[in-house]
Amino acid sequence: MKKIAIVQGVRTPFVKAWTSFQKVPAQKLGALVVAEILQRTEFKPKDVDEVIMGCVGQPIDAANVARVIALMAGIPKDKRAYTVNRNCASGFEAVTSAAEKINAGLDDVVIAGGAESMSSAPLVYSEQATGLFFKLQRAKTLSQRLGLMLQFRPKHFAPQSALQMALTDPSCGLNMGQTAEVVAKKFGISRLRQDDFALESHKRVIAARAKLSEEIMTVFTPPAFDKPVTEDNGVREGQSMEQLGKLKPVFDRRSGTVTAGNSSQITDGACAILMMEETKAKALGLPVLGTIRGYDYTGLEPSEMGLGPAFVMERVLRKTGVPLKEIDLFEINEAFAAQVLASVEALASKKFAEEHFPGGLPVGEIDPARLNVNGGGIALGHPVGVTGARLVLTCLLEMKRRGLKKGLVSLCVGGGQGGAILLERE
Amino acid sequence: MSGAWKLTLREGIGIFTFDNPDSDVNVLTSEHLAALDAALDELAGRTDLAALLLTSAKPRIFVAGADIREIEKIHTKEDAFAKAERGKAILAKLENLKYPTVCAINGACLGGGFELALACSFRVASFSPNVKIGLPEVNLGILPGFGGSIRLPRLVGLLGAMPLILAGKIVGPEEALKFGLVDRLFSEKTFTEDAFAFTKAVADGREERREPKKNWMKRFFEDTPPGRAIALSKAKKDVLRKTKGHYPAPLEILRLFGRTYGKGGSASYRLESEHFARLGTTDVSKNLIRAFFLSEKYKKFRWTKATVASDGVEKCGVVGAGVMGGGIAQLASHRGIPVRVKDLNEKALGGALKEAFGLYKDAAKRKKIKKCEIENKMSLISVGLTNDGLKGCDIVIEAVLEDIGVKQKVFRELDALTAPSTLLASNTSSLSVTKMAEACAHPERVVGLHFFNPVNRMPLVEVIRGEKSSEEALERTILFSRRLGKTVILVADRPGFLVNRLLLPYLNEAAYLLREGFSAERIDGVAERFGMPMGPVELADQVGIDVGYKVAHILQEAFGARMKVAPILEDAKNLGLLGKKSGKGFYAYDGKKRTPNPAIAGGSGSARISEEDALKRMIYIMINEAARCIDEKVVDSAATVDVGMMMGAGFPPFRGGLLAYADSVGAPAILKDLERFQKEADAARFEPAPYLRALAARDGKFHA
Repeated sequence: MKKIAIVQGVRTPFVKAWTSFQKVPAQKLGALVVAEILQRTEFKPKDVDEVIMGCVGQPIDAANVARVIALMAGIPKDKRAYTVNRNCASGFEAVTSAAEKINAGLDDVVIAGGAESMSSAPLVYSEQATGLFFKLQRAKTLSQRLGLMLQFRPKHFAPQSALQMALTDPSCGLNMGQTAEVVAKKFGISRLRQDDFALESHKRVIAARAKLSEEIMTVFTPPAFDKPVTEDNGVREGQSMEQLGKLKPVFDRRSGTVTAGNSSQITDGACAILMMEETKAKALGLPVLGTIRGYDYTGLEPSEMGLGPAFVMERVLRKTGVPLKEIDLFEINEAFAAQVLASVEALASKKFAEEHFPGGLPVGEIDPARLNVNGGGIALGHPVGVTGARLVLTCLLEMKRRGLKKGLVSLCVGGGQGGAILLERE
Repeated sequence: MSGAWKLTLREGIGIFTFDNPDSDVNVLTSEHLAALDAALDELAGRTDLAALLLTSAKPRIFVAGADIREIEKIHTKEDAFAKAERGKAILAKLENLKYPTVCAINGACLGGGFELALACSFRVASFSPNVKIGLPEVNLGILPGFGGSIRLPRLVGLLGAMPLILAGKIVGPEEALKFGLVDRLFSEKTFTEDAFAFTKAVADGREERREPKKNWMKRFFEDTPPGRAIALSKAKKDVLRKTKGHYPAPLEILRLFGRTYGKGGSASYRLESEHFARLGTTDVSKNLIRAFFLSEKYKKFRWTKATVASDGVEKCGVVGAGVMGGGIAQLASHRGIPVRVKDLNEKALGGALKEAFGLYKDAAKRKKIKKCEIENKMSLISVGLTNDGLKGCDIVIEAVLEDIGVKQKVFRELDALTAPSTLLASNTSSLSVTKMAEACAHPERVVGLHFFNPVNRMPLVEVIRGEKSSEEALERTILFSRRLGKTVILVADRPGFLVNRLLLPYLNEAAYLLREGFSAERIDGVAERFGMPMGPVELADQVGIDVGYKVAHILQEAFGARMKVAPILEDAKNLGLLGKKSGKGFYAYDGKKRTPNPAIAGGSGSARISEEDALKRMIYIMINEAARCIDEKVVDSAATVDVGMMMGAGFPPFRGGLLAYADSVGAPAILKDLERFQKEADAARFEPAPYLRALAARDGKFHA
């Protein structure tokens, strides 16, 4: 595969759903970052061949949201765009899909990323109610209409949250939090350890505010445009173990350990990354943040989807021939503290390796000081279609700051997958 | 058949084509009307035709109207009446042909052209964007005189006809179909064939006119006498409110409707000629025609000797996100041009976006754009606190604080940042573009590009030629401004350029009058009765007293005693009165209402001079300064002064323009009054310009 470069990237602040970005649809968030990356790189819109955006909850009024985003951002209409969905790894999928297009010579320059407005997830009427509404629309006579109206019951008027439905995996019948519980119990990850991990995530984000501002663009929101959004707002300034301890487990009331405090948040945001072959970037005199050394996705048991990173990181390291100890920085998306901790344990565990990895040898120990060094999804939030792109960007920027050479970013994926990308800097 | 009209036969249908041999445009000159007259006599005798299809041979034009130059030359009521009667007589022959007629509208169909179409039995048009249908005569101070004022209301009803005849609205094909102006629409590609097929169907009796259904409201206002009276009365109120009685044509049209609408027969046509005759000789009409020709001329006037393929602008930068910066960003994005706005202040960036958003929402409400376009166009505007995104701009417009030091700093930075081909334009209203260019290593690409507030509505821009500005840079800037929909005048780099240099003395004079026993309302009343859209005192509040004060001082510094700032402006500034933006200026503002602010503009005591003199002082001081501008070659001609003041300051077009008005008064009379004002008011302010003196001496005209 050709050496694919990540030239630069930018993201919006990550904002808790139903707060400042409530009125900003995904297509607008995406358009903002795509337009901004063009400004920061002084790259001309007409020189972009394709826009690939990850988006799980695509806006119902913007089909193929990547195309809508591209046009809004001023990319000429004769250029291409498509939207990808690999659930929580959609942000990765956009980046790796871009790499594949460039490698195949189908695109020279791609803007890849993600846009997600979880605030905009619609409310859905039940199948029964929808059926009645439909019949009502088609009714021709007054008596027909009256007859149908009399069939409505109060329960028909209580719509369900699409978000809730989207975060439930029909293959195993569990929602994401419930899969975290499965993994927590399997690996015996205690409540205390999860809360501690969560607290650390918040602390690291707070300490990294200045660093993170490098990758964040300011967003002005309609209709007044008077309160610029400049920072991620999910992080809690005064978070403490005490506060975390007070929360009740959400997914298993009686014996659970996973709470809202040690889970990622429901978030709105977008991210855009400019990608092209490394040789092209050098020829254009563009500075390169890093290149993709390798990547992979793998499937696993849906009810244990949180272990995805363990499986896929082993695969990527094996395929690229890079030993774990050579990796300078790690990012494992903090969907839940429990699953990150479990994945880390799994990679170090002899027993797990014997059971699951060819060769039967543990992959290695990940130093917590090198993992999610500027915080993660627990404090920042996890706009599902976007996070993968953010991980790539944030890891490369930190590698640049510290003069490091190799980074491994990874995600667990609802539905039972894992994704990982091995990043390199010169 | 001879001249521009040709007849061919096809399957028993006559195809009657108008093809002006002398130009690309089909216009109903008296020569072509005469040929039409003869042709119609011939056609009347034809018994072999089942129907007649009227077409145009010009690709984008059906018939663009009557010859405006001929209308311009009408000087007597008799002449006007005769011309109207003749045109009607000819079109009556068309209407009275024994077989049905179909008019195929393939492009511009305006004024007399549409009246021609109205005399046919049916009208069809293509979907082409070139199809523009309307009766814009009211904009030239007249009314449709070839029967259109009678036929259109009979065809589509009074309420449907009013926007076209009274307001000069021009519609495209879809709207024309909707309002019943045309009967069918066909694809542009197959228009000729489809129109022919339609005509055949008409001849065979297979086609009928579709009468639109009338709702009860329409039936009341159009079909009942009391309803009609109410509709006409309301229309009259609207007209008076908008025109303040300065434009006789719409009122004459309403009077004509009152006398003719709802009545059948042919007596109405003669009344149309009578009302046309009353209007055709008015000064207002002549002045509006003059203003129309000026506007057309300046849309494509060749200011420089450079020839460039295009303005070369794919991306526009704006530095300084105030009201003007935000307005410019909205203007450019509306034309599909991506804009990057930079400011050092986050609040200002938000303000620019808010301004643009408000303008777009407004446009959507008034159906100028579709709702989805609001977000699409807003997304072309991106904002930032750093220079990111400016380097790649093809033009950067600077709209920062009116301070030469600040502006030079910005220009120095932009000059170093951008390629030499990037145009750097200043929106300054009062500072020297040449001085700003001194901060640049590439001064030849530095120009002035002065927009007027509000940017989306004021049609004028002043392009300023700096000492080192290249012809190419100026030409690109001019083309860019036209792409933004503006009319351009090229002005030398002198303080105040043109418009502000004339406008400030006018405002200043009003300020002096406030201390001479005139109330704010009285002064504004005088100016509004003259025809200014907004009185000078309210205008000062609108512009901002602080802004006006600053510019006034710059002009005083540049031009000396004749531009001495009125003391009341100093007092207003010291009292912290900023004008509309702070709610209090010379007036106090509460929502849409305004009342004089007693703190500054009480205007008690009686005025020592007449209202006539007050008006003269305010207007003649502008004329006097304009004379200097021509003398000093700040602008190239009196016509440019007139265009600048009409489009940049709202000088009433019905007066023909500032200097056309001056010519109508006469230089000797103006000189005499100026000398009198020197004695009665102030020697310096009313010092007659040498150019004006010379003009008066030989009784010459500004417009030679």
